[in-house]
Amino acid sequence: MRPGASSIDSEDERYETFVSRFAHFEPDLRRFIRSLLPTWTDADEVLQQTAIVIWRKFDQYDPETNFMKWACVIARFEALAYRRKMARDRLVFREDVLELMADEGAEEIDRRSSEHEALEACLLAMPEKQRQFLTLAYTPGVKVKEMAEEAGSSAASFYMRLKRLRRQLMECMESKTKIANAAS
Amino acid sequence: MNASFHQLPEQEQDWLDAYLDGSISASDFDLLQERLLESPELRFVMRRYLSLDNTLQNEGADSGLDSEMAMRPWLSAENHAAEDEVDPGKVVLFSGGLRLAAAAAVAFLLGTAVMYFGSPEGEGFQDRAETDEPSAQGFAVIERLFDASWEEGAFRREEGEMLGSEVFRLASGVAEIQFFSGAKMIVEGPAEISLKSAWEATCHDGAVRMKVPPAARGFKLQAPATEIIDLGTEFGLVVRDGEGHVEVIDGEIAVRHRDEGEKLLLKNDALTLKSDAAAAKIESGTVAFPDLSHYGARTENRNRSAFQRWESHRDSLAADDRLIAYYTFDEDESTPLVPNLSIPRNTELDGATILAEPVAGRWPGLKSALEFRRPGARVRVNIPGEFPAFTFMAWVRIDSLDRWYNALFMGDSYETGEPHWQIRDDGKMMLSVMVDDSRPNPYHAGDAGFHRVYFSPPMWDLSMSGEWLHLASVFDPESRMVSHYVNGSQISGQEIVDDFFIDQLRIGNAEIGNWGQPFREDPTFAIRNLNGRLDEMAIFRVALSGDEISGLFEASRADRR
Repeated sequence: MRPGASSIDSEDERYETFVSRFAHFEPDLRRFIRSLLPTWTDADEVLQQTAIVIWRKFDQYDPETNFMKWACVIARFEALAYRRKMARDRLVFREDVLELMADEGAEEIDRRSSEHEALEACLLAMPEKQRQFLTLAYTPGVKVKEMAEEAGSSAASFYMRLKRLRRQLMECMESKTKIANAAS
Repeated sequence: MNASFHQLPEQEQDWLDAYLDGSISASDFDLLQERLLESPELRFVMRRYLSLDNTLQNEGADSGLDSEMAMRPWLSAENHAAEDEVDPGKVVLFSGGLRLAAAAAVAFLLGTAVMYFGSPEGEGFQDRAETDEPSAQGFAVIERLFDASWEEGAFRREEGEMLGSEVFRLASGVAEIQFFSGAKMIVEGPAEISLKSAWEATCHDGAVRMKVPPAARGFKLQAPATEIIDLGTEFGLVVRDGEGHVEVIDGEIAVRHRDEGEKLLLKNDALTLKSDAAAAKIESGTVAFPDLSHYGARTENRNRSAFQRWESHRDSLAADDRLIAYYTFDEDESTPLVPNLSIPRNTELDGATILAEPVAGRWPGLKSALEFRRPGARVRVNIPGEFPAFTFMAWVRIDSLDRWYNALFMGDSYETGEPHWQIRDDGKMMLSVMVDDSRPNPYHAGDAGFHRVYFSPPMWDLSMSGEWLHLASVFDPESRMVSHYVNGSQISGQEIVDDFFIDQLRIGNAEIGNWGQPFREDPTFAIRNLNGRLDEMAIFRVALSGDEISGLFEASRADRR
């Protein structure tokens, strides 16, 4: 038996541990990956790939250590591999940028998670009409870009409004986390 | 690390948005990556912003809606015009796999009057969807704000913003809310007001002064355990910790507190309203209601200093020898002329005002502007000479883009070398120079001569009505670029290709805010007055750099936040 794997006995148990760990950390991991790749869809793909690799290598994971740190290392590697595959896509980060973003991002997992909570609160406080607009803009299948091209003026103004709302949310989230940081 | 988004240079902020929208150009993306390597702040904020995007994306995916379902409430709720758009008769207007309902909903959401489809090249050459009525949402508008601040994490509201059924919260300062019934509410923060309709609101907390003209008699304001019906003119209400004070400043109100009968209150009558006790008469004048005069004075001081900064900027700009002409449209009752301020003074370049009316400019009360609302409104100029390049710059307040083309600065006969600077009804800025008036327009046989229109992306929609904008467009033959700028930031740059190259530029007879000699009579084409105001316009004989333009914007803006 490998060192550090002593608590993982049967295959079933191993699988259960994996599922519960992974489910618990999935949102963190998704945010982490999202910060390395151009779109949510790219991030989704890398997240899935990462999950597979984590499962394959799960017996190498030492349960005494930080699961998230370990997962980030794998995700970083998978993002780099994906980057190479996608390198012709012009919005993919250069390798050095991606590595830097990943290294720093891995240190900010907890921070991202509290920002996420602040953001949820901001979304709730948002006027209904604006929130509906955002949900609409981010509903899968509603292709803002396609509309921008086809509908010209209106969809590009759509982008402008979207941008404004996103920036307001960012400001809201930043001020909420600032308060939280000051209080703790 | 405590960097926040708005602390980043504007350029970097714009990059981040463009990256998220997938619209960043390859060269900007390179620059962004360079900056990422250098700036830990940018990296930090970017990770945050991407994480925010991720949350929104998850929300969108979790909404359980497909795109059509998501659109449906927008279609059915309020707008029949949007439904009309789904008329299968108009299907041809949308190409590709675009969902009709989606496009209609987008148009509705944005309140756009007209969508255009088809070739962007050339004037008068595109297919157009039928106009739908832009519909105003809501029943009240934030008319003015004085020193308004919002709770941490709450949404900032802006002057001119429409209010519907919602809770309006103000942390401090004063907001003036105009209901469409005609009633006016002046609220002082901290305040929490539920807006119900043009005729009804509830004050949970805060100090309110209501002004109710005859047309809005019957306006109902709810306070804890109390209903107040205004029977005309003016009253004040303060609610703190669930306890209310109401006082009639002028006129008459009816008050129904708890299960007591209706009481009529006349001028100077005042009541305390506790939810656990009967309404009790108190002396008038014991409670302070919001008073705009105090806030007005402070705003005025701030305005004055920004205006003075602008005045000195104006004087130094006037001395810039690269100017062709410089107009500030200040009202001078002694003359209908619009003086050209560029030094050395050349009165030959003064403009003549026709039907354009002096109105409040960027600093109301301190500086006037010209309004071109009437179809015949214009300022005529005659500017001789030949120039190697053009930079047009103006402070513009667009009330609405009523015309197909809305003029800023237009050469009369649009002969070879003459410019047309205008805004299309979809919010795109346009700059063109006639390249050869003896050759036919390659895009449209019936149109003027050989020229090309350089469009910006749409930079305006109805939600920006009444906002002062700094617009600039540059025609630069030397670097072969035509660029458009809004508020100091470049929004587009297009190459001047060989066919359309011209570097001997002229103006001659021209018009500001309208077009003098349309070559087609069709009124949708010919009438181009700008429904809006101009309060400064400068024309340069050179191509100003992006930095120079953003410098001009910064030095002349009215608000510095």
